[in-house]
Order: sequence, then C-alpha cells, then structure tokens
Amino acid sequence: MREPPLLELRGISKTFPGVKALDDVSFSVYPGEVHMLLGENGAGKSTLMKVLCGAYKADLGQFFHHGKQVQIDSTAAARELGIAVIFQEFSLVPYLNVAQNIFLGREPSGYLPGTIDLKRMHVQARRILDQLGLSLDTHTLVHSLGVAQQQMVEIAKALSQKARILVMDEPTAALSDRECERLFSTIRQLQADGVAIIYISHRMAEVFSMGDRITVLRDGRRMASLMTGDATPDQLVQLMVGRSVDMSYARNFCAEPGELLLDVRNMSASNGVHGVSLKVRVGEIVGLAGLVGSGRTEVARAIFGADRVTAGEIWVCATRFAGGPEQAREAGMALIPEGRKTQGVALTRTVSENLGLASLPKTFPNHLFDPRKARQIAQALIQRLRIATPSPERNVQVLSGGNQQKVVIGKWLQAGSRLFIFDEPTRGVDVGAKAEIFALLDRLVAQGASVLMISSELSEIVHVCDRSYVMKDGTIVGHLQRAELTEERVMHLAVGQGSI
Amino acid sequence: MNDTQVARPLMRLITHVPGVTWVLLMLILVFSSLSGNFLRAGNLANIGEQSVVLLLLALPMTFVIMTEGIDMSMGAVLSLTSVVLASTLVATGSIALALSAAVLIGLAFGVFNGGLASWLKLPPFIVTLGTMGVAQGLALVATDGDSIIVGTQLTRLYTTQFLFLSLPMWLAILSYGAFHVLLQRTRFGTYVCAIGGNRDALTLAGVSAGTYHVAVYALSGAMAGMAALVLTARLSAGHPSAGIGMEFDAIAATIVGGTSFERGKGWLLGTLLGVVAVGVLRNGLNLLNVQSAVQVSCIGLLVIAALLFDGLKDRA
Repeated sequence: MREPPLLELRGISKTFPGVKALDDVSFSVYPGEVHMLLGENGAGKSTLMKVLCGAYKADLGQFFHHGKQVQIDSTAAARELGIAVIFQEFSLVPYLNVAQNIFLGREPSGYLPGTIDLKRMHVQARRILDQLGLSLDTHTLVHSLGVAQQQMVEIAKALSQKARILVMDEPTAALSDRECERLFSTIRQLQADGVAIIYISHRMAEVFSMGDRITVLRDGRRMASLMTGDATPDQLVQLMVGRSVDMSYARNFCAEPGELLLDVRNMSASNGVHGVSLKVRVGEIVGLAGLVGSGRTEVARAIFGADRVTAGEIWVCATRFAGGPEQAREAGMALIPEGRKTQGVALTRTVSENLGLASLPKTFPNHLFDPRKARQIAQALIQRLRIATPSPERNVQVLSGGNQQKVVIGKWLQAGSRLFIFDEPTRGVDVGAKAEIFALLDRLVAQGASVLMISSELSEIVHVCDRSYVMKDGTIVGHLQRAELTEERVMHLAVGQGSI
Repeated sequence: MNDTQVARPLMRLITHVPGVTWVLLMLILVFSSLSGNFLRAGNLANIGEQSVVLLLLALPMTFVIMTEGIDMSMGAVLSLTSVVLASTLVATGSIALALSAAVLIGLAFGVFNGGLASWLKLPPFIVTLGTMGVAQGLALVATDGDSIIVGTQLTRLYTTQFLFLSLPMWLAILSYGAFHVLLQRTRFGTYVCAIGGNRDALTLAGVSAGTYHVAVYALSGAMAGMAALVLTARLSAGHPSAGIGMEFDAIAATIVGGTSFERGKGWLLGTLLGVVAVGVLRNGLNLLNVQSAVQVSCIGLLVIAALLFDGLKDRA
C-alpha cells in the first residue's frame, strides 16, 4: 500500500488474571480511513481501546506511528501521538461548561500562573464547535445537554487535542436516526481532513455504510481484516461467533412444557424497553439474548417490578401481576442479578444466614429467629444444591463463585420461588462451576420451576436454552425455537441483520 | 461588557432561585416581626461581623464538598490554630508571625487530611473525624483548657475601620472574591469541580488529580488558620474550645447554599447566602434569648428546610 499506516499495532497481547484479553492482535489504520472493529461481547474490543489510549499497558507487542516505532505506556503518550478515545461513558464533567470540558487539562493560560484565559478558551471552543457545525453555547453546563450533544462535545474535545486518530466506542448507541446522520456527516468531514477513525460498532448497516476496512475480533484474537467491499454480513457474523470453549452441558431439553408461568404482553417500561412480549412455561429454560445494552436487564427489572411498567400486561400463573419486588416474591418470582457479590449475597454473612434471607417471614412467622431451625433449613439446601462449603457457618466470601451462585439460588428456592430470572448467571465463574450451575438449572426446571436466562455468551444460550428470545434496541426482535437456535442466527438478530 | 454577559449570571440567578434565598427571606421576615431590634443598622453590622469566621470556613468547605469529600476537622483545627496564634502572639508580639504559625499548622493538618483521603483513598469523613480528635486534643493539652489572653494589639486591628467597613469585613470580601476567582478562572477551581464530577476524566486528561485533591484539603486547613486570626481577635483570646462545632455551621451553610455532595455541583454565592442565613438565624435567636444548644437544632432544621425547597423545586 501507499504510505505507511498512521498507526500500526503488531502482536499486542494483554493478560488479566485468568483471562487472555488480547492475544497477538495486529491492527493498522491509515489517514482518512474508517476502520471498523467488530466482535462479540467480551471479544477484546474494549481492552484494545484501553491499550490504544494508554490506560492499559500491553504485555507484549509493538506500536508504529508513521512507520516509526513508539511506546504507548501512558495516556499522555497516547495523546502525544494524537490518539483520542471517545468512550461510551463520557469523560465529561457535568458541572463544568462546554468550553471548560473541551479544554479540561489544557486550558489556555492567563496572565497569572494557574489562571485561565477564559476569553481565549471560549473563542477557541466556539471555533471548534463551528467547525463541527454545532450552535451550542460554550457557556452551557454539560449536565444540561442531551446525550447526542454530549457526544459532540466529546468529539470537539478530541479535535481540540489535534487528534489525528479518533477511536469511537459504539458512538450511535444512544443516538436517534437524525443525530446519527449528523454524526456520520461529521465523521465523513473528519475523514476528508485526513483523520483516521477506529469505529467500534455492532450495527451492520453502519459497518457497511461507514467503514473502509473491517477487523473482527473473537476471544481476544484477530479473526480477519477485510476491505468492506470484500465482506458480506454473513461472513462477518460467521467470524464473530463460535467460541472455542467446549460446550457440552448435560441438559434434558424440555419436550413438553407445562402450564404458562409467565406471560408478558406488549410491555413497555420507564427504563426504555418497549413492546416486549414473551412467555415462559413450567419446565423451560428460556434465553434472553442480545448485545450489551440491548435492554435485557431492563426487561428483567420491569417484569420483576423494580422499574415502572408504562404499558402492557404481565401475567404470572394466570394472575395479572402489578406491583413491586415484594409482590413479585409472593408471586413466586426470583430475580437473580448480575452483580452476585453486590446484589446477590451478603458476602460477610454466613452461608446459613444467606440461605434464610429471602424466606424469613415464612420460616419464622412470629418474628422470632430460631438459629437451630435456620441451620436445619440451611443443611437441607446445602445437600440438595450440593453447595461446597466447609460448614453452614462459614462466610459466603470464602466460597467459589459457582457456590456463591448456588447460595443465591437456594435462598430463593427456600422462599418458594418457581420462576427464576437469571441475569448472567455464569459471570465470573470458572468453566467447571458453569457446568455445575447449568446442571442445577436443569434439575430445577425438571422439578417444576422455570428459568428466564439472560446471557451475553451465545454458546450458553445455544447449548442450555429450550428456546430463546433475542433483543435489540430495547425490544424483542426474534424468537428462536430449539431447532433453529444457533449462534449465527442469534447474532444475526442481535446485530440487526434480520432473520435468515 | 455587553448585555448578554451581564444578563447571563442574572438569568442564572433567577432561573436557579435556590432554596437558600427563600429560607433567608423567610428568616428575615420572621425575625424582623418578632424583634424590633433585628433590622437596626447596628444589628445588621453585627450579623455581618459575626459571620466572617463562618464565611472563611464555609468557602473552603464548599470546595471540599464539591470533591465529594468533607472536612470534619475544621472546627477543631480552628481551635488549635487559635491557641497557636494567641501563644505565638504573646511570645513574640508579632501578628504576622502569629498568623503565619496558625496558617502553617492549619496547612499541615489539611495536607495530612488530603494525603490520606486522596493518596491512600481513605474515606474523608473518617480521616477528618480522626484529625478532629487529634487537633482538639492538642489544643486542650497545650493550654490545660485555659484561654490565652492576647493584648489589645489584635483587638485594635479587629475594630479598625477602613472605607466604611471593619478590617474583618474586608477580609471576608477579599476572601470571597479570591475564592470566586479561584473557582471561575483558575485551573485549580476547574479541577475541584472535575474531581467531584468525573475524576477519571481529569486523570485521562493527564492532570494529576491527586495533587489538586490534596490542595483542596490544604486550603481548607490554611483557611481555618486564617479564620483563627479573626476569631482570636474577636474574643481577645485564644480558647481551646472556641471552634467546637464550627464545622457543623460551615457544612450547614454550604449545603443550605445548594452545594451538593455529588457530581461536583457547587455554588459559592449560595454558600455566601447560606452563611448569612446561619448568621441571621443565630443572631435572631440570640435577640429572642434562645439558648445556644437550641440554636444548633434550628440550624439543623434550616438545612432540612433548604433541601426541602430544592427538592420541591426539582419536582415542580
């Protein structure tokens, strides 16, 4: 090719305790190029971004800037090279104004040391905003701006740093169609000015309309780099999916599901999900798949009554359900949240105490705690769920992740729950514990419970669920039966490629 | 200055209309109707002068709270520096030397607080609660609990008039101006806001947030030393318990003024109004012969009232 790339990464590796987040990744970007970065949740995109902006230091690998070897070992070094990253959570300060945010850390100096030349700062901010075609007042406090405008401020901030390499993490995730168009025209303008853009996206339409080149990551490895013209959506999906980990979970798939346990009809909620309809029957494990941010957790929270339902109906066991978490518990629902250590168990309390926590009123109707009875119940649950703990009196803290998860499940079993809503049940547990958790779920549903399982790992959805719903942009975009449940199909729906 | 520049702060003031303004107006109404002496010029001047110490404390407290922190040690450090100032003055006869000693001791406590809070990431409440005990204890040990009477030299300075105002009032005005400039026109002020608002953003921008964070607490300590000058002059003595509870008033004035413990939201003019509100409340209650312990309860109610106003406004 023509001149050397503006930035080239060779053989970048980064390991975290227990995980190889990046494995020998090479990647380059040319001036005026939009390089699309694709990958499943957890494929290593965010780690790569953090390495690029100097927040993480790569364990191995080299960086070349204009063909010359350089180091990126700090955020300052990355900035020096003209690399600017726009994260999804903005790096803006809410109670500073637009100009102060654009120039944070690089304020033009005034006459006295430590002072800021406000006039010059606002004039320069104005110039950058004009360049982007924005009419924002530079004195506006950022917290009063909408998401799209905040993003523009982020871009302005990057440009003010004379950024030549702009990294954007799913920039359209929170934008309306019109705002997207605005962003795209800005990107094209930047491109024309010779800025190199690394663009992370899940949306196929964007990938093909904006990208010059596409790189696909999976499990921390680069699967391929293609020119957009040579790529097809099917091919990209193929490259993205297919975890290498062995996935043979013992699962007795449910041939004849029982009565309808949960029936959500056209539900919309204050947290942004809309038009969601789903059914869960006794004896089923139903998946809720989708990319991070597609609204899966929000659906669970709305069903459980933790967020307000604004339209539609929820029926539990043929009874209309309307109410908060307490009513949900009484109706036999259990929401097992993603943050096991923060929301699931009380880490510094004992196994026995944790197991009894959700069923205290039931176990001790006269409000007096009986430690012996609590221990008996705990013993029974420990045996039934095969929780590996030295004794019921040990703190949950010392248990493995998988066993902690079992404690959470046990807690709800004791409370009489029949419908378990799991949000990422295997987050942070090792492979062995995963298999054990799924075996437990299998037994649970065989005994007359049912499970709605949110998971970001496609392989789990595919190998464990009887059927699965797929979410995108706050609503359900597909429903796959056991026979049609493949990683490719789920991914196609999740990225908005329609059904195949 | 053109129209928009003048109009902007004015508009902001009007659109904000924070709880503190209503609270202050209400207090003035209540006290002027209950006590004929309240609105006399002499009494108003009195309120102003009594509020100087509190303002000198509430200004840095506003910065500390903007960083999502708190300085519980302020009152105790004020006591200690007041004692240090008085004894240095008695020993050397030099006000400049005495003030320097007080400010330096305050600064040292501030750096210690800030260092533990910022570099060791200990919770500011606990850290400053600890130093509060340390400073208070030192003040009592150093004096055996007695006052250190200072000569008339300091009192004369306190009552000196200059351009219609007493020197403490000028100190208050200058301090407010300095803090305003600090917050609006310097890197330090911008970063104070950013530490509370989005510390990661500041760090990613290559700014050593830790240093500025420590500086905020250092400023807080140094200002306690500065306030000790006014307090000692007003009492004509350094007293080891003179500052007890002042951190409560300073926090109250800051919160009443609309500064938030979250996201780096702070407002100095609000703090000024909050200080005046606390001053008016104390003065009015004094005029009505309400005992000091009950006054503390009233300040507590004042805080809740101001938060309530703001809460109602947010909901409207």
